[in-house]
Amino acid sequence: MSDHDPLLAVESVSKRYGDERVLNDVSFTMDRGDVTVMMGPSGSGKSTLLRCVNRLTDVDSGEIRLGDHRVTDPGIDVDALRRDVGMVFQDINLFTHLTALKNVTLGLREVRGFSKDDAREAATEQLERVGLGDQLDSYPGELSGGQKQRVGIARALAMEPDLLLFDEPTSALDPELVGEVTAVMADLAAGGMTMLVVTHEKGFAREAATDALFLDAGSIAERGPPAQLFENPENERTAEFLDRVSTVSGEP
Amino acid sequence: MSETGATRTTADTGRVVSGSLGRWLTIAGGVLFWGWLLARWLNNWLLPAGVGVPPGESFLDPAAVAPISDSLAFAVEYLPQLADAAWLTVVLTVVSIALGFVLAVPVSVARVYGTYSSTVSLAFTELIRGTPLLAQLFVLYYALNLSTLFRGLPDGGVLPSAVVYVAIIGFTINSVAYQAEYIRSALLSVDREQLTAARAIGLSQRQGIRHVVLPQALRFAIPGWSNELVYLIKYSSLAAFITVPELFNVARSIAADNFAYTGIFALVAVLYLGLVISASKLMAGVERRVAIPGLGSTTSQ
Repeated sequence: MSDHDPLLAVESVSKRYGDERVLNDVSFTMDRGDVTVMMGPSGSGKSTLLRCVNRLTDVDSGEIRLGDHRVTDPGIDVDALRRDVGMVFQDINLFTHLTALKNVTLGLREVRGFSKDDAREAATEQLERVGLGDQLDSYPGELSGGQKQRVGIARALAMEPDLLLFDEPTSALDPELVGEVTAVMADLAAGGMTMLVVTHEKGFAREAATDALFLDAGSIAERGPPAQLFENPENERTAEFLDRVSTVSGEP
Repeated sequence: MSETGATRTTADTGRVVSGSLGRWLTIAGGVLFWGWLLARWLNNWLLPAGVGVPPGESFLDPAAVAPISDSLAFAVEYLPQLADAAWLTVVLTVVSIALGFVLAVPVSVARVYGTYSSTVSLAFTELIRGTPLLAQLFVLYYALNLSTLFRGLPDGGVLPSAVVYVAIIGFTINSVAYQAEYIRSALLSVDREQLTAARAIGLSQRQGIRHVVLPQALRFAIPGWSNELVYLIKYSSLAAFITVPELFNVARSIAADNFAYTGIFALVAVLYLGLVISASKLMAGVERRVAIPGLGSTTSQ
Protein backbone atom coordinates (compact mmCIF):
# COMPACT_ATOMS: atom_id res chain seq x y z
CA MET A 1 0.00 0.00 0.00
CA SER A 2 1.28 3.44 -0.82
CA ASP A 3 0.88 6.09 1.85
CA HIS A 4 -1.04 8.11 -0.69
CA ASP A 5 -4.11 6.15 -1.71
CA PRO A 6 -6.52 8.68 -3.18
CA LEU A 7 -10.17 8.59 -2.05
CA LEU A 8 -11.37 8.91 -5.63
CA ALA A 9 -9.39 7.75 -8.63
CA VAL A 10 -10.71 8.31 -12.12
CA GLU A 11 -8.52 6.62 -14.73
CA SER A 12 -8.82 7.01 -18.50
CA VAL A 13 -12.61 7.20 -18.42
CA SER A 14 -14.36 7.48 -21.78
CA LYS A 15 -18.03 7.59 -22.57
CA ARG A 16 -19.98 8.19 -25.73
CA TYR A 17 -23.65 8.65 -26.48
CA GLY A 18 -24.08 7.37 -30.02
CA ASP A 19 -21.53 9.18 -32.16
CA GLU A 20 -20.91 11.87 -29.58
CA ARG A 21 -17.85 11.50 -27.37
CA VAL A 22 -18.96 12.87 -24.02
CA LEU A 23 -15.89 11.88 -22.03
CA ASN A 24 -12.53 11.26 -23.63
CA ASP A 25 -9.80 9.64 -21.57
CA VAL A 26 -10.43 11.60 -18.37
CA SER A 27 -8.12 10.95 -15.42
CA PHE A 28 -7.81 12.66 -12.05
CA THR A 29 -7.68 11.84 -8.35
CA MET A 30 -9.04 13.38 -5.18
CA ASP A 31 -7.76 12.93 -1.65
CA ARG A 32 -9.92 12.94 1.44
CA GLY A 33 -10.81 16.54 2.27
CA ASP A 34 -10.23 17.81 -1.25
CA VAL A 35 -12.73 20.20 -2.76
CA THR A 36 -12.48 20.02 -6.53
CA VAL A 37 -14.43 22.40 -8.68
CA MET A 38 -15.24 21.36 -12.22
CA MET A 39 -16.01 23.98 -14.84
CA GLY A 40 -16.56 23.91 -18.54
CA PRO A 41 -19.00 24.77 -21.26
CA SER A 42 -22.37 23.15 -21.57
CA GLY A 43 -22.03 19.67 -23.06
CA SER A 44 -18.40 19.29 -22.00
CA GLY A 45 -19.25 16.16 -19.98
CA LYS A 46 -19.25 17.56 -16.43
CA SER A 47 -22.59 16.09 -15.37
CA THR A 48 -21.88 12.80 -17.11
CA LEU A 49 -18.60 12.50 -15.22
CA LEU A 50 -20.37 13.09 -11.89
CA ARG A 51 -23.00 10.52 -12.75
CA CYS A 52 -20.29 7.99 -13.61
CA VAL A 53 -18.85 8.38 -10.11
CA ASN A 54 -22.05 7.15 -8.42
CA ARG A 55 -23.01 4.84 -11.29
CA LEU A 56 -26.13 6.68 -12.35
CA THR A 57 -24.32 6.35 -15.70
CA ASP A 58 -21.99 3.54 -16.84
CA VAL A 59 -18.61 4.29 -18.41
CA ASP A 60 -17.61 2.77 -21.76
CA SER A 61 -13.99 2.29 -20.79
CA GLY A 62 -11.60 3.25 -18.04
CA GLU A 63 -11.84 2.72 -14.31
CA ILE A 64 -13.16 4.58 -11.28
CA ARG A 65 -12.38 3.65 -7.70
CA LEU A 66 -13.83 5.22 -4.59
CA GLY A 67 -12.28 3.98 -1.37
CA ASP A 68 -12.94 0.24 -1.45
CA HIS A 69 -15.57 0.46 -4.17
CA ARG A 70 -14.51 -0.52 -7.67
CA VAL A 71 -17.14 1.76 -9.12
CA THR A 72 -16.86 0.69 -12.75
CA ASP A 73 -16.88 -3.04 -11.97
CA PRO A 74 -20.19 -4.26 -13.45
CA GLY A 75 -20.78 -6.69 -10.57
CA ILE A 76 -20.69 -4.24 -7.66
CA ASP A 77 -23.59 -3.45 -5.36
CA VAL A 78 -24.49 0.02 -6.63
CA ASP A 79 -26.76 0.70 -3.65
CA ALA A 80 -23.82 0.13 -1.30
CA LEU A 81 -21.67 2.46 -3.41
CA ARG A 82 -24.33 5.16 -3.38
CA ARG A 83 -24.54 5.00 0.41
CA ASP A 84 -21.00 6.39 0.39
CA VAL A 85 -21.51 9.04 -2.30
CA GLY A 86 -23.99 11.85 -1.84
CA MET A 87 -25.39 13.82 -4.73
CA VAL A 88 -26.91 17.27 -4.92
CA PHE A 89 -28.81 17.99 -8.13
CA GLN A 90 -29.19 21.01 -10.35
CA ASP A 91 -32.95 20.47 -10.37
CA ILE A 92 -32.81 19.80 -6.61
CA ASN A 93 -35.22 16.84 -6.94
CA LEU A 94 -36.55 16.87 -3.41
CA PHE A 95 -39.18 14.21 -2.87
CA THR A 96 -42.17 16.42 -3.57
CA HIS A 97 -44.63 14.50 -1.38
CA LEU A 98 -42.49 14.59 1.74
CA THR A 99 -41.72 17.33 4.26
CA ALA A 100 -38.18 18.64 4.61
CA LEU A 101 -37.69 16.34 7.59
CA LYS A 102 -39.06 13.26 5.81
CA ASN A 103 -36.89 13.98 2.78
CA VAL A 104 -33.91 13.51 5.05
CA THR A 105 -35.25 10.64 7.18
CA LEU A 106 -36.23 8.44 4.21
CA GLY A 107 -32.66 7.42 3.44
CA LEU A 108 -31.80 7.10 7.13
CA ARG A 109 -34.74 4.77 7.72
CA GLU A 110 -34.66 2.71 4.55
CA VAL A 111 -30.96 2.62 3.72
CA ARG A 112 -29.16 3.06 7.02
CA GLY A 113 -31.80 1.28 9.08
CA PHE A 114 -32.25 3.99 11.71
CA SER A 115 -35.17 3.76 14.13
CA LYS A 116 -37.87 6.36 13.71
CA ASP A 117 -36.65 8.46 16.63
CA ASP A 118 -32.97 8.21 15.72
CA ALA A 119 -33.74 9.17 12.12
CA ARG A 120 -35.75 12.15 13.27
CA GLU A 121 -32.98 13.30 15.55
CA ALA A 122 -30.23 12.87 12.96
CA ALA A 123 -32.31 14.56 10.25
CA THR A 124 -33.14 17.49 12.50
CA GLU A 125 -29.46 17.92 13.21
CA GLN A 126 -28.60 17.97 9.49
CA LEU A 127 -31.38 20.44 8.72
CA GLU A 128 -30.20 22.69 11.54
CA ARG A 129 -26.71 22.48 10.09
CA VAL A 130 -27.99 23.98 6.81
CA GLY A 131 -30.02 26.59 8.71
CA LEU A 132 -33.47 25.06 8.28
CA GLY A 133 -34.25 23.97 11.80
CA ASP A 134 -37.44 26.01 11.61
CA GLN A 135 -38.72 24.39 8.38
CA LEU A 136 -38.79 20.72 9.39
CA ASP A 137 -42.45 20.24 8.54
CA SER A 138 -42.59 22.34 5.38
CA TYR A 139 -43.22 20.64 2.07
CA PRO A 140 -40.90 21.42 -0.86
CA GLY A 141 -43.75 23.36 -2.47
CA GLU A 142 -43.68 25.74 0.51
CA LEU A 143 -39.93 26.43 0.40
CA SER A 144 -37.89 28.86 -1.68
CA GLY A 145 -35.38 27.51 -4.21
CA GLY A 146 -32.47 28.19 -1.91
CA GLN A 147 -34.17 26.50 1.04
CA LYS A 148 -35.03 23.52 -1.14
CA GLN A 149 -31.43 23.12 -2.25
CA ARG A 150 -30.27 23.32 1.36
CA VAL A 151 -32.69 20.48 2.19
CA GLY A 152 -31.14 18.65 -0.78
CA ILE A 153 -27.72 19.09 0.80
CA ALA A 154 -28.98 17.95 4.21
CA ARG A 155 -30.54 14.88 2.56
CA ALA A 156 -27.18 13.94 1.04
CA LEU A 157 -25.22 14.77 4.22
CA ALA A 158 -27.43 12.60 6.40
CA MET A 159 -26.08 9.51 4.68
CA GLU A 160 -22.61 10.53 5.95
CA PRO A 161 -21.02 10.04 2.55
CA ASP A 162 -17.27 9.86 1.93
CA LEU A 163 -17.73 12.06 -1.11
CA LEU A 164 -20.36 14.62 -1.95
CA LEU A 165 -21.13 15.36 -5.62
CA PHE A 166 -22.71 18.68 -6.58
CA ASP A 167 -24.18 19.00 -10.08
CA GLU A 168 -24.55 22.75 -10.69
CA PRO A 169 -26.34 23.17 -7.35
CA THR A 170 -27.06 26.86 -7.82
CA SER A 171 -27.75 27.25 -11.53
CA ALA A 172 -31.51 26.72 -11.21
CA LEU A 173 -31.78 29.32 -8.44
CA ASP A 174 -32.67 32.98 -8.57
CA PRO A 175 -29.44 35.01 -8.26
CA GLU A 176 -30.27 36.36 -4.81
CA LEU A 177 -30.68 32.82 -3.45
CA VAL A 178 -27.31 31.54 -4.66
CA GLY A 179 -25.38 32.96 -1.70
CA GLU A 180 -27.23 31.00 1.00
CA VAL A 181 -26.44 27.73 -0.80
CA THR A 182 -22.77 28.47 -1.54
CA ALA A 183 -22.35 29.59 2.08
CA VAL A 184 -23.53 26.17 3.28
CA MET A 185 -21.21 24.49 0.78
CA ALA A 186 -18.26 26.60 1.93
CA ASP A 187 -19.02 25.59 5.53
CA LEU A 188 -18.95 21.93 4.55
CA ALA A 189 -15.67 22.41 2.71
CA ALA A 190 -14.18 24.12 5.75
CA GLY A 191 -15.39 21.21 7.86
CA GLY A 192 -13.29 18.78 5.82
CA MET A 193 -15.97 17.24 3.57
CA THR A 194 -14.61 15.83 0.30
CA MET A 195 -16.56 17.52 -2.48
CA LEU A 196 -16.60 17.30 -6.27
CA VAL A 197 -18.51 20.34 -7.45
CA VAL A 198 -19.68 21.30 -10.91
CA THR A 199 -20.31 25.02 -10.68
CA HIS A 200 -19.57 28.31 -12.33
CA GLU A 201 -19.55 30.21 -9.04
CA LYS A 202 -15.99 31.52 -9.11
CA GLY A 203 -16.44 33.16 -5.72
CA PHE A 204 -17.15 29.80 -4.12
CA ALA A 205 -14.31 28.17 -6.04
CA ARG A 206 -11.82 30.81 -4.90
CA GLU A 207 -12.93 30.66 -1.29
CA ALA A 208 -13.45 26.95 -0.80
CA ALA A 209 -11.90 24.81 -3.51
CA THR A 210 -8.52 23.14 -3.25
CA ASP A 211 -8.31 22.80 -6.99
CA ALA A 212 -10.21 23.40 -10.18
CA LEU A 213 -10.65 21.36 -13.34
CA PHE A 214 -11.56 22.83 -16.69
CA LEU A 215 -13.35 20.33 -18.88
CA ASP A 216 -13.67 20.95 -22.61
CA ALA A 217 -15.21 18.56 -25.15
CA GLY A 218 -14.93 15.61 -22.78
CA SER A 219 -11.28 16.13 -21.79
CA ILE A 220 -9.57 17.87 -18.91
CA ALA A 221 -8.09 20.92 -20.62
CA GLU A 222 -6.52 22.36 -17.51
CA ARG A 223 -6.18 21.67 -13.82
CA GLY A 224 -4.74 23.76 -11.02
CA PRO A 225 -5.41 25.80 -7.91
CA PRO A 226 -8.51 27.95 -8.53
CA ALA A 227 -6.66 31.24 -8.17
CA GLN A 228 -4.06 30.23 -10.74
CA LEU A 229 -6.67 28.85 -13.15
CA PHE A 230 -8.72 32.03 -12.94
CA GLU A 231 -5.89 34.58 -13.06
CA ASN A 232 -3.50 32.94 -15.51
CA PRO A 233 -5.23 30.25 -17.51
CA GLU A 234 -2.74 28.50 -19.77
CA ASN A 235 -5.31 27.11 -22.13
CA GLU A 236 -6.94 29.44 -24.61
CA ARG A 237 -10.36 27.75 -24.30
CA THR A 238 -10.20 28.09 -20.50
CA ALA A 239 -9.42 31.77 -20.75
CA GLU A 240 -12.20 32.39 -23.22
CA PHE A 241 -14.75 30.45 -21.16
CA LEU A 242 -13.84 32.01 -17.83
CA ASP A 243 -14.05 35.39 -19.46
CA ARG A 244 -17.62 34.72 -20.58
CA VAL A 245 -18.64 33.33 -17.19
CA SER A 246 -17.31 36.51 -15.56
CA THR A 247 -19.34 38.67 -17.92
CA VAL A 248 -22.48 36.80 -16.96
CA SER A 249 -21.94 36.73 -13.21
CA GLY A 250 -20.50 40.26 -13.23
CA GLU A 251 -17.56 39.17 -11.16
CA PRO A 252 -14.24 40.84 -12.05
CA MET B 1 -80.45 49.09 -18.50
CA SER B 2 -79.60 51.04 -15.38
CA GLU B 3 -80.84 48.15 -13.32
CA THR B 4 -78.33 45.68 -14.76
CA GLY B 5 -75.75 46.42 -12.07
CA ALA B 6 -78.22 45.96 -9.26
CA THR B 7 -79.56 42.76 -10.78
CA ARG B 8 -76.08 41.33 -11.12
CA THR B 9 -75.32 42.10 -7.49
CA THR B 10 -78.46 40.32 -6.38
CA ALA B 11 -77.63 37.38 -8.62
CA ASP B 12 -74.12 37.18 -7.16
CA THR B 13 -75.43 37.27 -3.61
CA GLY B 14 -77.98 34.70 -4.66
CA ARG B 15 -75.23 32.43 -5.90
CA VAL B 16 -73.33 32.71 -2.63
CA VAL B 17 -76.49 31.86 -0.71
CA SER B 18 -77.39 29.02 -3.05
CA GLY B 19 -73.77 27.80 -2.85
CA SER B 20 -73.98 27.18 0.87
CA LEU B 21 -77.61 26.13 0.52
CA GLY B 22 -76.55 23.59 -2.10
CA ARG B 23 -73.93 22.31 0.28
CA TRP B 24 -76.48 21.87 3.04
CA LEU B 25 -78.94 20.21 0.66
CA THR B 26 -76.20 17.79 -0.45
CA ILE B 27 -75.37 16.93 3.13
CA ALA B 28 -79.04 16.56 4.06
CA GLY B 29 -79.67 14.42 0.96
CA GLY B 30 -76.64 12.26 1.76
CA VAL B 31 -77.68 11.73 5.37
CA LEU B 32 -81.24 10.90 4.31
CA PHE B 33 -80.13 8.53 1.51
CA TRP B 34 -77.50 6.65 3.52
CA GLY B 35 -79.51 6.78 6.74
CA TRP B 36 -82.38 5.12 4.97
CA LEU B 37 -80.19 2.54 3.17
CA LEU B 38 -78.34 1.62 6.37
CA ALA B 39 -81.63 1.41 8.26
CA ARG B 40 -82.95 -1.00 5.63
CA TRP B 41 -79.84 -3.18 5.76
CA LEU B 42 -79.72 -3.18 9.57
CA ASN B 43 -83.39 -4.10 9.63
CA ASN B 44 -82.80 -6.97 7.22
CA TRP B 45 -79.62 -8.50 8.55
CA LEU B 46 -79.07 -7.49 12.15
CA LEU B 47 -82.43 -7.16 13.88
CA PRO B 48 -83.80 -10.44 15.23
CA ALA B 49 -86.90 -11.74 13.48
CA GLY B 50 -90.04 -10.10 14.76
CA VAL B 51 -88.32 -6.80 15.50
CA GLY B 52 -88.52 -4.17 12.74
CA VAL B 53 -90.25 -5.03 9.46
CA PRO B 54 -89.78 -8.12 7.27
CA PRO B 55 -87.19 -7.66 4.48
CA GLY B 56 -88.68 -5.97 1.44
CA GLU B 57 -91.51 -4.40 3.37
CA SER B 58 -91.79 -0.69 3.85
CA PHE B 59 -91.33 1.13 7.16
CA LEU B 60 -94.36 3.23 6.19
CA ASP B 61 -97.67 1.90 5.04
CA PRO B 62 -98.00 2.72 1.31
CA ALA B 63 -101.76 3.06 1.78
CA ALA B 64 -101.16 5.85 4.32
CA VAL B 65 -99.29 8.03 1.83
CA ALA B 66 -101.55 7.21 -1.11
CA PRO B 67 -103.87 10.16 -0.43
CA ILE B 68 -100.84 12.53 -0.73
CA SER B 69 -99.56 11.20 -4.03
CA ASP B 70 -99.84 7.98 -6.03
CA SER B 71 -96.21 8.24 -7.13
CA LEU B 72 -95.10 8.54 -3.53
CA ALA B 73 -97.14 5.48 -2.58
CA PHE B 74 -95.56 3.58 -5.50
CA ALA B 75 -92.08 4.60 -4.30
CA VAL B 76 -92.82 3.67 -0.69
CA GLU B 77 -94.06 0.28 -1.84
CA TYR B 78 -91.15 -0.71 -4.06
CA LEU B 79 -88.11 1.17 -2.73
CA PRO B 80 -87.54 -1.28 0.16
CA GLN B 81 -86.94 -4.22 -2.18
CA LEU B 82 -84.66 -2.08 -4.30
CA ALA B 83 -82.75 -0.89 -1.22
CA ASP B 84 -82.20 -4.49 -0.19
CA ALA B 85 -80.89 -5.27 -3.67
CA ALA B 86 -78.65 -2.18 -3.59
CA TRP B 87 -76.70 -3.93 -0.80
CA LEU B 88 -75.32 -6.38 -3.36
CA THR B 89 -74.56 -3.56 -5.79
CA VAL B 90 -72.50 -1.88 -3.06
CA VAL B 91 -70.79 -5.13 -2.06
CA LEU B 92 -69.92 -5.98 -5.67
CA THR B 93 -68.51 -2.50 -6.29
CA VAL B 94 -66.59 -1.99 -3.07
CA VAL B 95 -65.04 -5.46 -2.90
CA SER B 96 -64.13 -5.52 -6.61
CA ILE B 97 -62.64 -2.04 -6.67
CA ALA B 98 -60.62 -2.75 -3.51
CA LEU B 99 -59.27 -6.12 -4.67
CA GLY B 100 -58.73 -4.65 -8.11
CA PHE B 101 -56.70 -1.79 -6.64
CA VAL B 102 -54.45 -4.11 -4.64
CA LEU B 103 -53.69 -6.06 -7.83
CA ALA B 104 -53.59 -3.06 -10.18
CA VAL B 105 -50.66 -1.44 -8.36
CA PRO B 106 -48.20 -4.29 -9.09
CA VAL B 107 -49.61 -4.74 -12.60
CA SER B 108 -49.03 -1.07 -13.43
CA VAL B 109 -45.59 -1.01 -11.80
CA ALA B 110 -44.65 -4.10 -13.83
CA ARG B 111 -45.90 -2.40 -16.98
CA VAL B 112 -43.81 0.72 -16.39
CA TYR B 113 -40.66 -0.68 -14.77
CA GLY B 114 -40.61 -4.37 -15.70
CA THR B 115 -39.07 -6.07 -18.69
CA TYR B 116 -40.77 -9.45 -19.23
CA SER B 117 -43.42 -8.64 -16.68
CA SER B 118 -44.17 -5.51 -18.70
CA THR B 119 -45.16 -7.65 -21.68
CA VAL B 120 -47.30 -9.92 -19.52
CA SER B 121 -48.97 -6.90 -17.96
CA LEU B 122 -49.60 -5.35 -21.38
CA ALA B 123 -51.07 -8.59 -22.75
CA PHE B 124 -53.39 -8.95 -19.75
CA THR B 125 -54.54 -5.34 -19.97
CA GLU B 126 -55.22 -5.50 -23.72
CA LEU B 127 -57.07 -8.82 -23.43
CA ILE B 128 -59.33 -7.57 -20.65
CA ARG B 129 -59.94 -4.11 -22.06
CA GLY B 130 -60.45 -5.50 -25.53
CA THR B 131 -63.28 -7.90 -24.68
CA PRO B 132 -66.74 -7.11 -23.30
CA LEU B 133 -67.20 -7.37 -19.55
CA LEU B 134 -70.39 -9.37 -20.08
CA ALA B 135 -68.46 -11.92 -22.17
CA GLN B 136 -65.90 -12.19 -19.36
CA LEU B 137 -68.65 -12.86 -16.83
CA PHE B 138 -70.15 -15.51 -19.13
CA VAL B 139 -66.78 -17.24 -19.48
CA LEU B 140 -66.39 -17.40 -15.71
CA TYR B 141 -69.97 -18.44 -15.02
CA TYR B 142 -70.95 -20.68 -17.95
CA ALA B 143 -67.68 -21.89 -19.48
CA LEU B 144 -65.59 -22.31 -16.34
CA ASN B 145 -68.60 -22.92 -14.11
CA LEU B 146 -66.78 -21.15 -11.28
CA SER B 147 -69.77 -20.92 -9.00
CA THR B 148 -69.35 -24.63 -8.12
CA LEU B 149 -66.14 -23.58 -6.36
CA PHE B 150 -68.12 -21.53 -3.86
CA ARG B 151 -71.08 -23.86 -3.37
CA GLY B 152 -69.91 -25.05 0.03
CA LEU B 153 -69.69 -21.56 1.54
CA PRO B 154 -72.42 -20.44 3.90
CA ASP B 155 -74.79 -18.01 2.29
CA GLY B 156 -78.11 -16.32 2.84
CA GLY B 157 -78.93 -13.21 4.81
CA VAL B 158 -76.05 -10.79 4.81
CA LEU B 159 -73.70 -13.37 3.25
CA PRO B 160 -73.63 -13.44 -0.54
CA SER B 161 -74.42 -16.56 -2.52
CA ALA B 162 -71.89 -18.47 -4.63
CA VAL B 163 -72.67 -16.61 -7.82
CA VAL B 164 -71.80 -13.29 -6.17
CA TYR B 165 -68.23 -14.51 -5.70
CA VAL B 166 -68.07 -15.29 -9.41
CA ALA B 167 -69.27 -11.77 -10.21
CA ILE B 168 -66.67 -10.31 -7.81
CA ILE B 169 -63.91 -12.30 -9.54
CA GLY B 170 -65.11 -11.06 -12.92
CA PHE B 171 -65.38 -7.41 -11.88
CA THR B 172 -62.04 -7.58 -10.06
CA ILE B 173 -60.19 -8.94 -13.10
CA ASN B 174 -61.84 -6.36 -15.33
CA SER B 175 -61.19 -3.55 -12.89
CA VAL B 176 -57.52 -4.48 -12.47
CA ALA B 177 -56.99 -3.80 -16.18
CA TYR B 178 -58.64 -0.40 -16.09
CA GLN B 179 -57.21 0.71 -12.74
CA ALA B 180 -53.74 -0.37 -13.86
CA GLU B 181 -54.07 1.93 -16.85
CA TYR B 182 -55.02 4.90 -14.66
CA ILE B 183 -52.13 4.16 -12.29
CA ARG B 184 -49.72 3.57 -15.18
CA SER B 185 -50.35 7.00 -16.65
CA ALA B 186 -49.95 8.50 -13.17
CA LEU B 187 -46.64 6.65 -12.71
CA LEU B 188 -45.44 8.09 -16.01
CA SER B 189 -46.35 11.60 -14.92
CA VAL B 190 -44.01 11.45 -11.91
CA ASP B 191 -40.76 13.24 -12.76
CA ARG B 192 -38.16 10.58 -13.64
CA GLU B 193 -35.54 12.41 -11.61
CA GLN B 194 -37.51 11.63 -8.44
CA LEU B 195 -36.46 8.01 -8.80
CA THR B 196 -32.91 9.07 -9.70
CA ALA B 197 -32.75 11.10 -6.48
CA ALA B 198 -34.00 8.09 -4.52
CA ARG B 199 -31.38 5.84 -6.13
CA ALA B 200 -28.71 8.45 -5.43
CA ILE B 201 -29.19 8.14 -1.65
CA GLY B 202 -28.87 4.37 -1.92
CA LEU B 203 -32.49 3.23 -2.15
CA SER B 204 -33.00 0.22 -4.40
CA GLN B 205 -35.30 0.56 -7.41
CA ARG B 206 -38.01 -1.26 -5.47
CA GLN B 207 -37.66 1.02 -2.43
CA GLY B 208 -37.60 4.08 -4.67
CA ILE B 209 -40.81 3.04 -6.40
CA ARG B 210 -42.49 2.19 -3.12
CA HIS B 211 -41.48 5.23 -1.08
CA VAL B 212 -41.08 7.94 -3.70
CA VAL B 213 -42.82 7.20 -7.01
CA LEU B 214 -45.99 5.42 -5.88
CA PRO B 215 -47.02 7.90 -3.15
CA GLN B 216 -46.91 10.66 -5.75
CA ALA B 217 -48.42 8.62 -8.59
CA LEU B 218 -51.37 7.40 -6.53
CA ARG B 219 -52.25 10.99 -5.67
CA PHE B 220 -52.07 11.92 -9.36
CA ALA B 221 -54.26 8.92 -10.16
CA ILE B 222 -57.20 9.84 -7.91
CA PRO B 223 -59.29 11.90 -10.39
CA GLY B 224 -59.03 9.33 -13.19
CA TRP B 225 -59.38 6.44 -10.81
CA SER B 226 -62.62 7.92 -9.45
CA ASN B 227 -64.03 7.38 -12.94
CA GLU B 228 -63.40 3.68 -12.63
CA LEU B 229 -65.28 3.59 -9.33
CA VAL B 230 -68.24 5.38 -10.89
CA TYR B 231 -68.22 3.06 -13.91
CA LEU B 232 -68.03 -0.01 -11.73
CA ILE B 233 -71.11 0.99 -9.72
CA LYS B 234 -73.10 1.00 -12.93
CA TYR B 235 -71.35 -1.94 -14.62
CA SER B 236 -72.13 -4.06 -11.58
CA SER B 237 -75.63 -4.29 -13.11
CA LEU B 238 -74.18 -6.77 -15.62
CA ALA B 239 -74.06 -9.28 -12.75
CA ALA B 240 -77.81 -9.58 -13.33
CA PHE B 241 -77.01 -11.65 -16.43
CA ILE B 242 -75.32 -14.33 -14.36
CA THR B 243 -78.29 -14.34 -11.94
CA VAL B 244 -76.89 -12.16 -9.14
CA PRO B 245 -79.92 -10.53 -7.44
CA GLU B 246 -78.42 -7.05 -7.39
CA LEU B 247 -80.26 -3.77 -7.98
CA PHE B 248 -80.83 -4.04 -11.73
CA ASN B 249 -81.85 -7.70 -11.58
CA VAL B 250 -84.37 -7.17 -8.80
CA ALA B 251 -85.81 -4.12 -10.57
CA ARG B 252 -86.21 -6.16 -13.75
CA SER B 253 -88.13 -8.91 -12.01
CA ILE B 254 -90.38 -6.49 -10.11
CA ALA B 255 -91.16 -4.72 -13.38
CA ALA B 256 -91.85 -8.04 -15.09
CA ASP B 257 -94.51 -8.65 -12.45
CA ASN B 258 -96.24 -5.27 -12.29
CA PHE B 259 -95.37 -3.91 -15.77
CA ALA B 260 -94.54 -0.52 -14.21
CA TYR B 261 -91.20 -0.41 -16.04
CA THR B 262 -90.96 3.37 -16.12
CA GLY B 263 -91.73 3.80 -12.45
CA ILE B 264 -89.43 1.04 -11.25
CA PHE B 265 -86.51 2.07 -13.41
CA ALA B 266 -86.97 5.72 -12.42
CA LEU B 267 -86.53 4.61 -8.79
CA VAL B 268 -83.51 2.49 -9.80
CA ALA B 269 -82.00 5.48 -11.56
CA VAL B 270 -82.38 7.57 -8.39
CA LEU B 271 -80.63 4.87 -6.36
CA TYR B 272 -77.73 4.56 -8.83
CA LEU B 273 -77.48 8.34 -8.93
CA GLY B 274 -77.30 8.46 -5.14
CA LEU B 275 -74.54 5.85 -5.10
CA VAL B 276 -72.56 7.56 -7.87
CA ILE B 277 -72.81 11.04 -6.32
CA SER B 278 -71.76 9.60 -2.96
CA ALA B 279 -68.76 7.94 -4.61
CA SER B 280 -67.62 11.12 -6.34
CA LYS B 281 -68.09 13.20 -3.18
CA LEU B 282 -66.13 10.59 -1.24
CA MET B 283 -63.26 10.59 -3.74
CA ALA B 284 -63.17 14.38 -3.88
CA GLY B 285 -62.86 14.29 -0.09
CA VAL B 286 -60.06 11.72 -0.26
CA GLU B 287 -58.27 13.85 -2.85
CA ARG B 288 -58.48 16.91 -0.58
CA ARG B 289 -57.38 14.94 2.42
CA VAL B 290 -54.23 13.51 0.87
CA ALA B 291 -53.33 16.69 -1.04
CA ILE B 292 -49.82 17.99 -0.49
CA PRO B 293 -48.86 21.64 -1.06
CA GLY B 294 -47.08 21.97 -4.38
CA LEU B 295 -47.82 18.43 -5.58
CA GLY B 296 -49.95 17.78 -8.67
CA SER B 297 -53.42 19.26 -8.93
CA THR B 298 -53.02 21.39 -5.81
CA THR B 299 -50.46 23.63 -7.54
CA SER B 300 -53.09 25.07 -9.84
CA GLN B 301 -55.38 26.09 -7.00
